[in-house]
Amino acid sequence: MVRSFLVQASSFAADIDFVIDLIGVLVGFWFVLASCVFFYLILRFRSKDEGKAEWVTGEEKSQKRWITIPHILVLICDIFILVGAVRVWVHVKQTMPEETTPVRIVAQQWAWTFVHAGPDGALDTDDDIVKIDELHVQKDVTYRYELSALDVVHDFSVPVFRLKQDAVPGRVIEGWFKPTLAGEFDIQCAEMCGIGHGMMPAELFIETAEQHTAWMADHAPKSLAAVSAP
Amino acid sequence: MASLRHLRLSTTGAALALFLAAAPVSAEAPSGEQIFDHCTQCHGSAGEGNQLVAAPPIAGMAEWYVAKQLRKFRDGIRGKDARDHEGLRMRPMVRFLTDDTWIDNVSSYTASLPKPAPVATLSGGDAAKGAGHYATCAACHGLAGEGNQATNGPALAGQSDWYLYQSIEKFKTGVRGSDPKDTDGAVMRGMVMILTDDQAMKDVVAHITSFPTN
Repeated sequence: MVRSFLVQASSFAADIDFVIDLIGVLVGFWFVLASCVFFYLILRFRSKDEGKAEWVTGEEKSQKRWITIPHILVLICDIFILVGAVRVWVHVKQTMPEETTPVRIVAQQWAWTFVHAGPDGALDTDDDIVKIDELHVQKDVTYRYELSALDVVHDFSVPVFRLKQDAVPGRVIEGWFKPTLAGEFDIQCAEMCGIGHGMMPAELFIETAEQHTAWMADHAPKSLAAVSAP
Repeated sequence: MASLRHLRLSTTGAALALFLAAAPVSAEAPSGEQIFDHCTQCHGSAGEGNQLVAAPPIAGMAEWYVAKQLRKFRDGIRGKDARDHEGLRMRPMVRFLTDDTWIDNVSSYTASLPKPAPVATLSGGDAAKGAGHYATCAACHGLAGEGNQATNGPALAGQSDWYLYQSIEKFKTGVRGSDPKDTDGAVMRGMVMILTDDQAMKDVVAHITSFPTN
């Protein structure tokens, strides 16, 4: 369902979408069913001239079933959601792939600084490429990001990756992503960070290997020192 | 039914009123005062500045200088260095200045505001020693820091000491004035090299802050 509205551009986007869809279907099913029962009962037992309605205490077994059976069924659904969500959480948030290219992301009011590893594939070397509000990555390469914030809490959000990670001052948070679709996409701050929060977008460029090599060659640093994590 | 129809009419009327209120009154650019309202969050309601959010005083600054800096921010000539954290805060703020008229209007307005009296935040500077260093600066900024448009030198008198110090530091380290299109900044980068150490920077700032504000 989600991918009908927004393309999937990372290796784990489909997994995240699966959890969202699973929750949507299960919760949606119970919402529709509960609403139908609710309105049926309202209409079926609406005010009539036959007399006053009976006060139902809900203590009899036949009445309790209206609560206990759906309750058990909802709990069973919860187990499906928990299993699905934990499986994805462990894969996306708790498992760092072994072969990764580093990229440093520094958030501040109201800009993103991206430090790309140059051709040597390592940060804090002379060939690092520093860009403001532009992240350039290569398709099908796994990246390990080091996310930090200089001032207040920000949130690195890449909707097409289904990636959203808080950036907290004083901490360097690591995570990963693997772009799978070439193109230009949006990056946004998803945490209210001050008056310029709405003016803190950045661009994500997912490039083919040839495009990315050409971009690195064009943007080889001249004298700009690499930005170190705070 | 009558009350329902009345409710519908009221709702429609309220929606129309909201629409009219939100609709632009005219296609003219907003006044400088209206635009300045966006700036007050950081620069203060009277343009007095706020060091906590790295916003310098802008009240009473020359119109030509404010307009030029706003255009530099807009065109990515200033505030696009990864080390310029204060400039990066300002950079997105000029995005709503959609055309030159807006920039001219707000620059004109800030120039009309009375200059605030600067508050001392920096210590350790020797104004007498700074006077010697300032002899070089005076060629563009004026003997009393009054500024000179002909030499692209903004007024320094009345500026906050912390901002002066920070600006000198940024020019020295190339955080500011390194863009190839920033010709004024390139000149300034060369000039600040006469201030060889931190003490010299503090001294010259102490001298500048001794100038009368107006």
